[in-house]
Amino acid sequence: MWGERLAEIFFLGMKNLMRNKLRSFLTMLGMIFGVGSVIAMLSVGAGARHEILSRIQELGICNIILNSVQPPEETKAEDIAWMSHHGLTFKDAEYIEGTIPTVKKLLRVNLVKQRISYGSKRIEASVLGVEPEHLAMFGLDVSRGRRFNMIDSATCARVCIIRKDLVKQLKTVDDPLDMVLKIGMRSFHVIGVLADEQFRSHTRKALAIDGRSQEVYIPYSSSMRTFGTMNYFRRAGSREISEVELDQIIVQAESSDKVLPTSMMTAAMLKNFHDKKDYEIVVPLELLQQSEETQRIFNVVMVLIASISLIVGGIGIANIMLATITERTREIGIRRALGAQRRDIMIQFLTETVAIAAVGGLLGALFGVVAILGIVEFTQWKALIEPHYIIISLGISCSVGILFGIFPARRAAFMDPIAALRHE
Amino acid sequence: MKRFLIELEKVGKEYGFGTAALTVLKEVELSIGEGEFVGFVGASGSGKTTLMNILGCLDRPSHGKYFLQGDDISSLSDDRLSRIRNQRIGFVFQSFNLIPELTVLENVEVPLFYKKTARGKRKAKCMSLLDAVGLSERTTHHPAQLSGGECQRVAIARALVNEPTVLLADEPTGNLDSRSGAEILKLFHDLHRSGKTILMVTHNLEIASGLPRVVELKDGRVLSDRTRSETAEVVEV
Repeated sequence: MWGERLAEIFFLGMKNLMRNKLRSFLTMLGMIFGVGSVIAMLSVGAGARHEILSRIQELGICNIILNSVQPPEETKAEDIAWMSHHGLTFKDAEYIEGTIPTVKKLLRVNLVKQRISYGSKRIEASVLGVEPEHLAMFGLDVSRGRRFNMIDSATCARVCIIRKDLVKQLKTVDDPLDMVLKIGMRSFHVIGVLADEQFRSHTRKALAIDGRSQEVYIPYSSSMRTFGTMNYFRRAGSREISEVELDQIIVQAESSDKVLPTSMMTAAMLKNFHDKKDYEIVVPLELLQQSEETQRIFNVVMVLIASISLIVGGIGIANIMLATITERTREIGIRRALGAQRRDIMIQFLTETVAIAAVGGLLGALFGVVAILGIVEFTQWKALIEPHYIIISLGISCSVGILFGIFPARRAAFMDPIAALRHE
Repeated sequence: MKRFLIELEKVGKEYGFGTAALTVLKEVELSIGEGEFVGFVGASGSGKTTLMNILGCLDRPSHGKYFLQGDDISSLSDDRLSRIRNQRIGFVFQSFNLIPELTVLENVEVPLFYKKTARGKRKAKCMSLLDAVGLSERTTHHPAQLSGGECQRVAIARALVNEPTVLLADEPTGNLDSRSGAEILKLFHDLHRSGKTILMVTHNLEIASGLPRVVELKDGRVLSDRTRSETAEVVEV
């Protein structure tokens, strides 16, 4: 009974909207932009969250990455003239592995910059000497060929795994598998090609991989035997030699809730052993928390902006409803004379306001989706459009409709029926 | 218990307060029995519209008491008054007061809508009433497409749809040409004969002379209250 009545009142409201299409549409505009911006904001937010999650997944949620870094200049100048000795040491790795109980696994990485040549083509590459489990830990799948195994490590085999892009940069049409590359002065056999195109840029940064050079993976033991711990930099005619025992240590905690304690213990330990700040600790979980923090600030600002436009839209609707009520004063009088109670008049006009707002909200959702698709097309933003946005936009628009419809509807309901009947 | 359908006891109406107060009705005493057809005449400003508003439960008297079917109307809440208007009173206005956006059928349905009658029932009832006033062919038209006389017949159908106790007509022929005016008047006389209680405000003495009872108002007081024979004499003079 009540449902049928409400449906009838709603239908009447829609009919009144259709009668004056242009005016109804202009009234809705505020709502359309307001809800549209909410939807755009939501999808950008969801896209960003998704992006962060996949970024963290790439780095591994349980991992802590320790990188060796060049210590600040001042200490170096007075210290050693021809060779700097800095970064993480073998001892660090041993201590971390041996004393921190929550460490599940610890992987050593030796990173050297080397020139790769194949035929007459030469390119700069980051050569990562990694232990066999390394590739699996970072979700690096070999699309062709095989991964490193224990025998490669034990025999210090001169084998390497490369990315597909490298082949492209070498400008060759040869089959990458079984290719023999010259890394530095030594020949390496390509045993595998990685499936993924590239790491994302922030992952590269976290893993201390140079943005421009390609990554090539070789077994850790081979890297130590072939290239050792010395790094040569040629810079504007001068040559710099530095010794870094371990370029990177990857610590895997037992579980994600042990990550922060583990990183704190590691940090405390390293602080004891190093008198210079020649290392950095990257905790993906912390990155997640930091980005959630920035995300929250972004959300607050966006919600503020969106609510301002929703309020403006609501005021627009209230304004038009007031005008409509003045126009339809006589109708209100007639309805009152024929037995409509104040409540009936109130419901009628409130329904009309909600109908405008709801239609505006749906159009706004559509507008938001189209706008965000356009923005994604031309920028690097990530957006995620989810089906429940339609419920959100309906919810928002209906509440704005009710909020801003109450005043005009009350005004209509409390008109004097006699005066309303006489209104011209 | 009250013996009459409508009883007014010393009903007065004032607008405004203090020195600015304007007295429109003064101690009106009136009793109207069931099935009567009463005309209200008087110059403009005599208070007949205000009296009609009070009789139609659109307005409440400032003083005195108004009994409709024995119920004291003067102190009811707005919601109760709305319900009484809906179920016991049918209005016919000079300017028809149809809702222009609704079709003929929908206009007639409005009082039933507020009585919360189910949809199917509503339509059947309205159709039969429109048939009775001779407009069954025009149910989907809008008021703007109808002539004045047709509009007024729609309004009468609307006024009758809730089977009201009292039919209130405020100059129902005032906006009509003489022919359709006569038709509408005939409709009222027919309704009277079928037993409806009708109260009609009119300027037209010719119409008033045809009514069984005429109440004349002046300056908010009842000047005269005559049954048919007396009215006829006045007109002859």
